[in-house]
Amino acid sequence: MIHRIPMGWPVVLLAGLFLLGCSEESQRSEFDADEIVSYSRSYRIKALDPALSGDVSSSKAISRIYEGLVEYDYLARPYKVVPLLTESMPEVSADGLVYTFKIRKGIHFHDDSCFSGGTGRELVAEDFIYSFKRIADVKNISSGFWIFDGRVLGINAFHEASKSTEPTDYGMEIEGLKALDRHTLQIRLTEPYPQLLNVLTMHYAFAVAHEAVEHYGPHFVSNPVGTGPYELVHWRRNSRIEFVRSPKWAETGRSETYPSNGTPEQIEAGLLKDAGEQIPFVDRVVQFVVDDGSTAWMMFLSGQFSFSEISPDNWDAVMTVDEGLNEGLEKRGISIVSAPTLELRYIGFNWEDAVLGTSTDPEVDRRHRKLRQALSCAYNFDQMNQFMNGRLYPANGPVPEPLGGSLKERAPYRFDLEKAMRLLAEAGYPEGIDPKTGRRLKLTMEVGGADPTTRQMMELLTAMFDRINVVLNVQYNTSPAFHEKLNRKRAQMFYLGWVADYPDAENFFQLFYSKNVTPGPNHANYRNTEIDRIYEQIQTMLDSPERTALYEKMAHIVVEDAPWIFCYQSQSFALKHSWIKNYTYHAFPYGMEKYQRANIDERTQWFKTHKDKKLSMSGEE
Amino acid sequence: MPNEKGQSLWGDAWLRLKKNRMALFCLGLVLFFSALAIYGEVVYRYHDLMDATPAYQQTNLDLAHQPPGMEHWMGTDGLGRDVMARLVQGVRIAFMVGIITSLIAIPIGVFLGCLAGYYGGRVDDFIVWLYNTFASMPGLLFILAIAMVVGKGLVGIYLGIGLTTWVGICRLVRGEVIKHKDQSYVQAARALGLSSGRIIFKHILPNIMHVIIITFTLRFPAAVGTEVVMSFLGIGVQGEPSWGLMINSARMRLWQGMWWEMTFVTLAVFLLVLAFNLLGDALRDALDPRLND
Repeated sequence: MIHRIPMGWPVVLLAGLFLLGCSEESQRSEFDADEIVSYSRSYRIKALDPALSGDVSSSKAISRIYEGLVEYDYLARPYKVVPLLTESMPEVSADGLVYTFKIRKGIHFHDDSCFSGGTGRELVAEDFIYSFKRIADVKNISSGFWIFDGRVLGINAFHEASKSTEPTDYGMEIEGLKALDRHTLQIRLTEPYPQLLNVLTMHYAFAVAHEAVEHYGPHFVSNPVGTGPYELVHWRRNSRIEFVRSPKWAETGRSETYPSNGTPEQIEAGLLKDAGEQIPFVDRVVQFVVDDGSTAWMMFLSGQFSFSEISPDNWDAVMTVDEGLNEGLEKRGISIVSAPTLELRYIGFNWEDAVLGTSTDPEVDRRHRKLRQALSCAYNFDQMNQFMNGRLYPANGPVPEPLGGSLKERAPYRFDLEKAMRLLAEAGYPEGIDPKTGRRLKLTMEVGGADPTTRQMMELLTAMFDRINVVLNVQYNTSPAFHEKLNRKRAQMFYLGWVADYPDAENFFQLFYSKNVTPGPNHANYRNTEIDRIYEQIQTMLDSPERTALYEKMAHIVVEDAPWIFCYQSQSFALKHSWIKNYTYHAFPYGMEKYQRANIDERTQWFKTHKDKKLSMSGEE
Repeated sequence: MPNEKGQSLWGDAWLRLKKNRMALFCLGLVLFFSALAIYGEVVYRYHDLMDATPAYQQTNLDLAHQPPGMEHWMGTDGLGRDVMARLVQGVRIAFMVGIITSLIAIPIGVFLGCLAGYYGGRVDDFIVWLYNTFASMPGLLFILAIAMVVGKGLVGIYLGIGLTTWVGICRLVRGEVIKHKDQSYVQAARALGLSSGRIIFKHILPNIMHVIIITFTLRFPAAVGTEVVMSFLGIGVQGEPSWGLMINSARMRLWQGMWWEMTFVTLAVFLLVLAFNLLGDALRDALDPRLND
């Protein structure tokens, strides 16, 4: 809920709630409180409605207020789904078609004027049915209907019915969504859906109260009422958003604890000191939108932000050669947490291109494959990594680590110039010379951006191909023009990335499924009947060693066919101040702030020591 | 220069220009840049013909961000390429932009200006309306729009700059032609029964040639500057070294003390623009008959 609050509110709030330290400290206004201040550089929060929003910033904000049936475990790797609003993991019928969720008793919505008497009522199974209907309702233009589309019995009928001009009838029964009693939800599927639990962790599937939707109408996007650890107190769009710990959890005696299992490395990193403690630890979360990277960086250095990313421009100045932070930053207690992310960057070859693509003539097809393999062998990961200051992680196949199906061994078409030249000759381009023209082979690459970093990366890539005598002509497009070219299948080669929606290799293999060709996500327009067959087979398979084996088999086929050059897996580098505890990288960071802690004493001490020191941009005093 | 007709104007102008030492220095600088541009074009053509990758495109990450020294007089950039070699190639792009855009803009401007000035009346009204319309649109936006339609790259730059900058010269030429058309030599030509086209282009045009030359020397650096801005914004030159691109990539590392790429490129832009502008001023002084004595 939002109160209309004057601008001076943060200071008043501080004076009222956080009477710590001497007056000198309280003049530092909002930055002394027990809070995590995070920021997102240019990404703005669009709407706080679980059904509508699709962007990362909104998802993160929504996940502080709302909750779903299940969530990802904070510490477990590989990522594991654990109960959140359910008593335990659902009962699944033997055929994998019926999921029964026991919803926890005594979970309450936040207090809000939309409820009778202003007190939040208890969460029931019907709330989930209502919420799921909202994303199926065409009138909501939800970006999340895909999570249930064609999967839940009867949900498509509801989707169709909502297309009428009449107001959508939420009383309409959906066969696959039933409340067996007040606290039991049954989901029935059309076919086994191994990713159901994964998609249920996403904000689309979070519980909203119908009272709030009806009460606020179109203003529901800025008046969220959830069951989560935080409530919205203040939102100045595109500028500042503030959440406070919801009093409802304490009132209703809701107990949520910090996970108590972890690996030895996690124990060593101090991630389990709070095991079994009641969460959330932090009273307030404040987030700013700061468009200018240098400003955000200086705000982080001066302690106003608890977290920061490192921009590539800053990298050299901030990091030492061996990937450590420079002395100035280390002295300020800033530390770095790095981990490979589930993002894969690749160069796609258009399967319908006359030079690189497939062909009905098996001999031509074979030669084109050799050419793609030769180009893959020309891509020098180490050089790219050197240019990106060692921030990349090599990729051996279409699935990033640590997902099942990722290939551990070095891929056969990683950098090898001799092999590249040999394959190139076998493809009919001896020494890179195109026999048709007598000149070097020319290829065109499309890129959706022209910022200096992209440009330099492409110049480096041009130089890599130059070593096997292939001329790369790079076209820098605006983002819409780039997607236009992709959608018209006009791009010969293109540079793209894919971030996992959920930790399952299936999410990557859909990019190679022939029914997903452009305008679907298979932008390479790759087609392989064997891949199609296995992909359809794994669609309904639950996680098992057999499925992982199939994933690996598919990965090997894709590597051999080389529709992509697997450029690299991105790594995340987060900088944090010493007073932030329990921080670890999570690929799905939605709602994970509740596990983090901010040590006020350490923070106060830090400000005493460091606040008057002048700094350079690199953090040196 | 069409100075074969005698020393009256051009020989006179050269004598006066020779006395201005600053102008001579600038002329030398312009000639020096022209030589570099020709050298750059030869290097480019040669490699294109031989189907080879020129040295200024070859990367070597181990040599990235080398400060100026014996090996690389102006240092190296982020991919280990020699800044000086790329700077010289940049002169080529700059000159091509300057010359080709002038070749587009000046004929349009001169032709329309002559027509408007000589005929007056409805023709004049229409042309004045046309160039006022062009002039009322913000220049850079218009250029961007044209470049977006034509596509990125040099052609977009040529057309974008060429089609938007003929207004100034058109206005000047129109004014000059109006001044000239009532003069006795024009009346004499008319009395002889010469056609309008012949009067305009054979008799009036040579007399206003100095205006066009001066405009060219002033427009040239402006076009170079616009190219730098467009490339900096990422819609200009693709794939070849250009001053705008170099400034854009050098800017990121500037505060880390990697000053050489930025410094030398801006210095080159500065010198080129300054030389052309000073030369333009000196030419105006030398060529304008009214400033005689």
